[in-house]
Amino acid sequence: MYFNTIKMSHVIIKQLLPHTKSFCVKFRNPAVCNVFNYSTKVTTTSSENALENLTDWETLSRKKKISKAMKAYLERSQEHDEFMKRQQFEYNIGKRHLANMMGEDPETFTQKDVDRAIEYLFPSGIYDPAARPLMKPPEEVFPARKAAEFDEAGRPHHFLFYTGKPSYFKLMYDAAENIQQLYNFQDKIIRKKATADPNGSLNLSSSVWLTKDQLEQVLVETITDLEYNNFKLVMQRLVSLPHAYKVKEFIEKYRKPLASQKFALEIPKPSYDAEGRAFITTYECLRKKARGDVTVRAPGTGKITINGKDLTYFEDVQSREQVMFPLIFTEMQDRVDIECNIEGGGPSGQSGAIRWGIAWGLRSFVDADMIQKMHVAGLLTRDFRRRERKKPGQPGARKKPTWKKR
Amino acid sequence: MANNIRILNKCIPWYPSSYLLPRISGLLQAREYSRPTSFPDYFQNPVFRKEDQAKLIESSELSKIAALPMKPPAVYETSSVYHDPLVNKLINHVMEMGKKQLARSLVEKSFENIKRAQIERYHLATTPEAKAKIELDPKKILHKAIENAKPLLQLQPIKRGGITYQVPGPITEKRSLFLAIKWLLEATYEKERTVHFPKQFAWELLDAANNTGKVVKRKQDLHRLCEANRAYAHYRWQ
Repeated sequence: MYFNTIKMSHVIIKQLLPHTKSFCVKFRNPAVCNVFNYSTKVTTTSSENALENLTDWETLSRKKKISKAMKAYLERSQEHDEFMKRQQFEYNIGKRHLANMMGEDPETFTQKDVDRAIEYLFPSGIYDPAARPLMKPPEEVFPARKAAEFDEAGRPHHFLFYTGKPSYFKLMYDAAENIQQLYNFQDKIIRKKATADPNGSLNLSSSVWLTKDQLEQVLVETITDLEYNNFKLVMQRLVSLPHAYKVKEFIEKYRKPLASQKFALEIPKPSYDAEGRAFITTYECLRKKARGDVTVRAPGTGKITINGKDLTYFEDVQSREQVMFPLIFTEMQDRVDIECNIEGGGPSGQSGAIRWGIAWGLRSFVDADMIQKMHVAGLLTRDFRRRERKKPGQPGARKKPTWKKR
Repeated sequence: MANNIRILNKCIPWYPSSYLLPRISGLLQAREYSRPTSFPDYFQNPVFRKEDQAKLIESSELSKIAALPMKPPAVYETSSVYHDPLVNKLINHVMEMGKKQLARSLVEKSFENIKRAQIERYHLATTPEAKAKIELDPKKILHKAIENAKPLLQLQPIKRGGITYQVPGPITEKRSLFLAIKWLLEATYEKERTVHFPKQFAWELLDAANNTGKVVKRKQDLHRLCEANRAYAHYRWQ
């Protein structure tokens, strides 16, 4: 087993993670992600500082009083720093080994290559993707911890320290402050002492509020559902004010853009066949359990070939309509030829896969306006939904047996 | 960490040595992983009909909407001129045990019957005025029939002082459409065994479109009952 010759300890099996996580919780990592940004007084103790302090602890103790909490913290932070350094070192070595095994240059081996190599070398059949082997940089695997929240004397830096969730309450405090500022600004406008920016606007349609998990990551604090709801309420109130564009930066910090439309950027150029006709082949047209490929040929007469047959390959009208849908929508039904190979699934899935494949291939033959229209019509969205599995103890995926009192 | 290595090595012998070939390993582990069964909330409903999109372009909202992710249209939705949401709804009401192809064929058969009946009438008519009056489009007849069958009021049972009163009140658009389709189908199912569904359904539709027949009578009965019970109307809010 040649894997044994290589140090692979940094390939982390996720099942072990809860253990390592709880191990990690004990440490407070000063190096990673401190979100305090409010005061100039804050001095985050860097790890170097911590080390220095720790090294001359004996002499310091005589001169300066260091609280017990600080002492414990410094010990923990040093331990965690060493742990992270070791993990980083192992990760780098592992990356080099992987690059060598894959016959690639270790210097230019990126995380993407690492993921690919792991998938290739450790093909996993574990059901949950999150449980399959992975190799990530240690800072991604071990959650970020807060830096020291108090000084040597044990006095907290943050004025909201004793709320227990200083970052969260600071956020709420800032939001309320912004609301108050906007009220004042509005009063000024009414008294004609200020003018609103006519071009200022806030477009929130293409982004959503951070989810609870994301917010927790940003704040490095665990928050309850109630607190998250309060966050959303106060932010919605802030956004609803007429001059909310003035605090755009603050608002956008807590919003995440929706999946952006990439389709406009990467439209492939058609290739040309022996007869000089332009063609585009779309592989991996998937829907339900059907998969196949679709070729669109540009000067054509509207001939459709599905697995060697014409449109009558589908016996029901609904599936035929689905195949014709993108062609009718773009009015290309007698200007292109379609060839598809499709297998698996039933007529509904197969026709859906072909529909997506045709729409995807037609992008190269229509103008940008039409592509936008096709997107709004939902033709360019991959339908990734699958059949939901049946659950034990109930007759279907969601269906429950009829409730009987006894 | 030593623990990790041991578990890792345990994992490896499960796989045949062919995993070194990437394509074969890909085929070997072709299995279904859990995937979402629905789209997230922020996916917008698609606007796939030409006339709806034209409205959006007029109000210059299309480019705004285009920035958002859209759901794909359902399998029964197309931008074809033959697409009619009401007909789809009707097909779903006719459908039993998920046999959509059968339901669709039955509805289309009844449309054919309507067409035949109307064309026969058209040819029997002598004057051009009489001919112009005859509606030949079965879908228009369906729309008219459902419009005529829709009730405007409904009776709600409300319990007051131990007695249940049938209290008249307004009806929502959705429920009135539901009742209209349900009544049309119930009237159709009350047929002799020798008559087939498409034929009877065509007759019912033609009757209802003409503002006669069982369904329209049922609607008028309901309206009459509502009128009779108007004394109880205050129970709706008292």
